[in-house]
Amino acid sequence: MQLVRRGHAPAFEVIYERHSQAAFSLAYRMAGTRGVAEDVVQDAFLNIWRSGARYERTRGSVRTWVLGIVHHRAIDALRRSFVHERRRASDEGIEERLETGERTDVEAARREEAGSVRAALGHLPSEQSQVIELAYFGGFTHTEIAAMLDTPVGTVKGRMRLGLEKMRHALGGGQVSLG
Amino acid sequence: MTATGPDHERWADAVGSYLLGALPPEEREGFAAHLDACPACRRDVEELGIAADALPLSVPPVAPPAALKDRIMTVVESEAELLAAAGRGADEPARAPARRPRGFLAGWLPRPGVALACAAVLLVAGGVAGALLAAAGDDARTVVADTRAPGAQVRLEIHDDASTLVARDMPAPPGGRIYQVWIKRPGRDPEPTSVLWSTRRDGSAEVAVPGSLDGVEAVLVTDEPQGGSDAPTTEPVITAETA
Repeated sequence: MQLVRRGHAPAFEVIYERHSQAAFSLAYRMAGTRGVAEDVVQDAFLNIWRSGARYERTRGSVRTWVLGIVHHRAIDALRRSFVHERRRASDEGIEERLETGERTDVEAARREEAGSVRAALGHLPSEQSQVIELAYFGGFTHTEIAAMLDTPVGTVKGRMRLGLEKMRHALGGGQVSLG
Repeated sequence: MTATGPDHERWADAVGSYLLGALPPEEREGFAAHLDACPACRRDVEELGIAADALPLSVPPVAPPAALKDRIMTVVESEAELLAAAGRGADEPARAPARRPRGFLAGWLPRPGVALACAAVLLVAGGVAGALLAAAGDDARTVVADTRAPGAQVRLEIHDDASTLVARDMPAPPGGRIYQVWIKRPGRDPEPTSVLWSTRRDGSAEVAVPGSLDGVEAVLVTDEPQGGSDAPTTEPVITAETA
């Protein structure tokens, strides 16, 4: 990241290569269309290129930082364009899913971590996983979710917190690596 | 027991919503201010953040298209060239007398210490700077620009001290090239600016044109090699007459 801060394009390219798939996957999951996902990732990475100085090593991995930026950009895009109706990636076929032939150690570890997170999310009571999904991947505010579910705002916020607490315990208090 | 900050009762249940990005805009600042003052909420954010940060891992992997990387790297490499032109210490506080930037950048990048900020503001892909200008409350006027790009619509929003080109359905510049903005004054050759840009995937862009357009006859856009040119090498693809 120090090189990126100094305007070193090849160093930025390494960051892009390392994190663009996770970034695009998240943006695609949230936006539901390939076009919006591409715009989100483009805006996010150009923001990263221009603001590398804002990355603080002590506050987490580069991957977490990158995905945090993508997440915020995707929420902005969703709220700007009211694409909430689009929901769920479905505008292109299943062939878009990444069918990687590579089975490197890193890839294997990522798959295992992904499985752990999915399991942790899947084991939550449905009312908790529902509000987490609507908030994190859907880009809805807790006020919107409360109205959608006809549930008090306080209850929605409580479910979010409780769900995250349970996930954290299920993940072993931070043993999932995002680096 | 961890100490709590003022208004803790009001904000304590918002930690999950904050971490999931679900706080309504009008509550975000209030929560951020509370977080600064509340060790208990900071601890909760740190602990529960582990779960929130793991959520992207649950997403099925989807490969980004190669063209996306091409678009991003075209802009990045152009900006890197600008930074290099501004001097090696462009991102560091100026310690020695500033080196003048070479070529057409002379006059646009007043000192190396601000080069990165200038590049960030002036080099636009898909409209970062436009948002910065949106709040300008002066007497703006808009002119419709001529464009050679079939189907494209471009307008120039003119403000007192900065203007914005707004493009819709504009094709991306040809491979390996980038759009450059020029200022045309009566009886003179087009003057280069350091404004280099590309479009979003949907053909939209908002491009900041810095400075006053007083005495300017037209704002032009041509496609140029990465890093820009000292003089136009192609016919303008956009011509916005300001008079």
